[in-house]
Amino acid sequence: MNRKLASAGAILACAAIAAGCGSSGGGGTSGSTVAGVGSNAKTVTPGMAQNAKGSVTWCIGKDTTGAFSQVVKLYNQQNPNVHAKLLELPTSADAQRTQLIQREQAKSPECDVLGMDTIWTAEFAAQGWLRDVTPAINARKSEFIPSTLGTTQINGKYWAVPFNTNAGFLYYNTSKVKQPPTTWQQAYQMAKTDGGLGYQGARYEGLTVDFLELLYSNGGSVLSSDGKKATIDSPQAQQVLSFMQQGVKSGAVPKSASTWMEEESRNAFQSGKVSLLRNWPYVYALAKQAHVKFNLEPLPKFGNGQAASILGGYNLGISTYSKNPGGALSFVNYATGPAAQKKFFIKSSLPAVLTQTYSDPAVKKSQPFAPQLLTAVQQGKPRPVSPVYTQISEAIDKNVYSALWSGTSPQTALKNAQSQINKALQTF
Amino acid sequence: MSTAEVTQERVASRARVREKAGRRPGRGGQILVWVGVLLTIVFCLFPFYWIINTSLKTGSELSTGHVFPHHPSVDNYTSIFKNADFTTALKTSAIVAGSSTIIALTIGSFAAYALARLRFKFKFLILAIILSTTTFPPIAIAAPLFKLWTDIGFYNTYQGLILPFLTFVLPLTIYILTSFFQEIPKDLEEAALVDGATRFQAFRKIVIPLAAPGMVTAGLLAFIFAWNEFLLSITLTSSAHRRPVSAAIAFFTGSQQFQIPLGTIAAATVTITVPLIVLVIIFQKRIVAGLTAGAVKG
Amino acid sequence: MSERRLAAYLVSPSLIVIALVAAYPIGYAIWLSLNQYSVIHPGLSRWVGLDNYKDALTSHDFWSAFKTTFIFTIISVTLELVLGLIMALLMHSAFRGRGVLRAVVLVPWAILTVGTAMMWKTIFDADLGFANQLLKALHLPGSHTVWLGQNGYALAVMIFADVWKTAPFMALLLLAGLQVIPDDVYEAAKVDGATAWQRFWSITMPLLKPAILVALIFRTLDALRIFDLPFVLTQGANGTTSLSLYAYQQLTQNRLIGPGSALAVLTFVIVMTVSFLYIRLVGGNIRGLAEET
Repeated sequence: MNRKLASAGAILACAAIAAGCGSSGGGGTSGSTVAGVGSNAKTVTPGMAQNAKGSVTWCIGKDTTGAFSQVVKLYNQQNPNVHAKLLELPTSADAQRTQLIQREQAKSPECDVLGMDTIWTAEFAAQGWLRDVTPAINARKSEFIPSTLGTTQINGKYWAVPFNTNAGFLYYNTSKVKQPPTTWQQAYQMAKTDGGLGYQGARYEGLTVDFLELLYSNGGSVLSSDGKKATIDSPQAQQVLSFMQQGVKSGAVPKSASTWMEEESRNAFQSGKVSLLRNWPYVYALAKQAHVKFNLEPLPKFGNGQAASILGGYNLGISTYSKNPGGALSFVNYATGPAAQKKFFIKSSLPAVLTQTYSDPAVKKSQPFAPQLLTAVQQGKPRPVSPVYTQISEAIDKNVYSALWSGTSPQTALKNAQSQINKALQTF
Repeated sequence: MSTAEVTQERVASRARVREKAGRRPGRGGQILVWVGVLLTIVFCLFPFYWIINTSLKTGSELSTGHVFPHHPSVDNYTSIFKNADFTTALKTSAIVAGSSTIIALTIGSFAAYALARLRFKFKFLILAIILSTTTFPPIAIAAPLFKLWTDIGFYNTYQGLILPFLTFVLPLTIYILTSFFQEIPKDLEEAALVDGATRFQAFRKIVIPLAAPGMVTAGLLAFIFAWNEFLLSITLTSSAHRRPVSAAIAFFTGSQQFQIPLGTIAAATVTITVPLIVLVIIFQKRIVAGLTAGAVKG
Repeated sequence: MSERRLAAYLVSPSLIVIALVAAYPIGYAIWLSLNQYSVIHPGLSRWVGLDNYKDALTSHDFWSAFKTTFIFTIISVTLELVLGLIMALLMHSAFRGRGVLRAVVLVPWAILTVGTAMMWKTIFDADLGFANQLLKALHLPGSHTVWLGQNGYALAVMIFADVWKTAPFMALLLLAGLQVIPDDVYEAAKVDGATAWQRFWSITMPLLKPAILVALIFRTLDALRIFDLPFVLTQGANGTTSLSLYAYQQLTQNRLIGPGSALAVLTFVIVMTVSFLYIRLVGGNIRGLAEET
């Protein structure tokens, strides 16, 4: 009994350090600490990729631009001994996570390389589903943008290789919006007269991200610096939530946004239903193809705060149950190598995780906003890093959603979010 | 007439009673009735028409609400049949639904015969247990089965689905077959027994052939249920080659870029539904009889 | 061999299968619900007794799912009964094309639930769905309703989708009941001067009672277990989370096996209680079935 209490205490303390390290942001590579992670993990060393052969299955969300399949093909051409296959998971991140979890819980060897949102990495590592890739990362550490490594590091070890990173941008239709807004307040004002503002307003993780962008800019936070309790019920948060609620009531944000995820909001922007859009960089290439007259800018500030961006993106992990870790590493190195990263960046607007890609002339030509993106990423803040992040996010998106679309008062919504997050932190 | 023919006659005449037409209302009433019938037909068929409509649309036309496709094409159909995931899902559904139906019919008919014909203790209790099993919420067995199947290696396998499907399909077939067996007059078997046949021979040679329509009905209803099952299908499978069609459709990533694969989902739904509808049309009298078994007994 | 022995042989395979695939998992689910399994540390678990149940029964989300499920059940079953009765009366009166009607009416029931749910989702899409376009074309109000994005409206769509699928099924059950009522009863009443309305209430309804009860049982129990529709239409957003969906989400998305199992068991208890109450009400039918030997 005492041992259980002691370990429980240790867990809480470590989770505290974990969350604290995670949310301090600012480009640190501190990662996080969670007790129990890594004790029995299998390690992947660079040597394993040398003579790799056999087949490797890459499980990742839907390939919306064809770039994934192309890279797989190129890899196969250049590595005749290893046959890589793409297995597409559903578009929605939540569905991807559920499907990966089902396989890993069943100890299935079907997926060798797991395409994980950065926010699942801590959870998957804690469950023992990922192999320790520290030696593999250390062999090429200097290539990566430091902040991206922070999302894969727990207990001083690396559990995945950054695949792409992300930071939100504000797109605006240049035929309706002449001057880009510098604050969110200004953006919502423009939306009222110039055709509406869209974002990911459905009840899912995307709404959490959008909310946190405004919250962080206004100086708010989700967890205390020691990560032990929720701090989301604050005057800053109430200010932000009231502001967003008012935006819906005034008509600046269309009511149908309550069902929008990334794709739906992009379609709304491209079809002209909204003139301003908060979305990820991937929209750039697609909107260009659709001949929309637009431009983009880094996210505006909230009032007098500092502009904040949330670090998004995906990491590639190697499954503990994979039967071909060497082949998996070989593929992962290729997919996170300069050639593939450049292709993903240019073709799918998936921001690269390698610093050098941003100075490539072809990249700069096709993604003129690359320099701003690099800065945003380098200064990006991750979402709370925690094995129970899913529950924390659900507490946020559920209550923000009800405030925005069901008229719940911001005070009530934030109070509920706070108590639910505190409960989640108690999760055993 | 032989006893067999007498029986056939009796069974048939009972069926005819059910077919009796209702009373005819007056002129004005008639028009009202036909308007009502028309509304009913539109109500029932319109969404199905919509699905067919959607399946013939491609590209950006999918995001419009056109009532007729402006450029109808069968692209969606060709693409789903080229999609190995879909054809595999069809095979999986056929295997899983078919197996659970056959197993349920076999052991269910034994139990139904006993319940309909034999005297023994606890009959009411057993019938109550069997009936109550049809009302289990699938979620109640999904979680323990997920854990259990993972431990013994049944996760993502055919048997991993066939077994839980039996939970629902077996009681259903027992219930339907019990009613059907009771309709068959006993004198035939009595006569056979008097002539020296064993119970089991009587069962095999007389009851089963007469109950054939009931078996078809029960089998069809069981198959349709298994085909439609969703919760267990998504919980107990994870890969495309073991996923039944209902789960596959829900997770369609489609073969088109950019679009939510509405067209292919519609094409897949139509493809799966049409054989069911054909079966339903052919066997509609039997299906209705099966569904109403016990309802009219009061 | 004796009847008892033969009966034992014939019934036992079914009972064994049911024990294996129904009783055992429920038992295991109850065991799981009495423990808590670590989300952070794989393989670690601890005994918590009835804590998971206490948490569930005091949680706002559980009661909200409970309320939603019951509201959905009561409204959709009532609508299905009324609509089904109307359709049954129509089919009973129509003289020609009986077979065609029956086939048409079975179509909604035969289509894959998941497929139709996806179609309803697009039909009720706020911007491009057919529903809003129809309202606009008919100059009716509400053509900008975000159906699946608002409380109340989302549940209404769910109810509509369910009624569409099962009212025809109800109609068939009730039609069978209607067809067994002999004509002479009506003739006698007509001779005595009863109006159509009186004939309906005093003759048709009472004689239809057994059919109505059976239809009610099956539909109520099905509605209480609803999962497919909210999963596909809204993933439970906007007041459409049913008991089954709520338990499923806790189990698979939050991977809370203990609390999730407790929710699953609670759902089971609720459904079985309703089922038990019904069986008591209609017990006569089953006893009749059991004693008819």
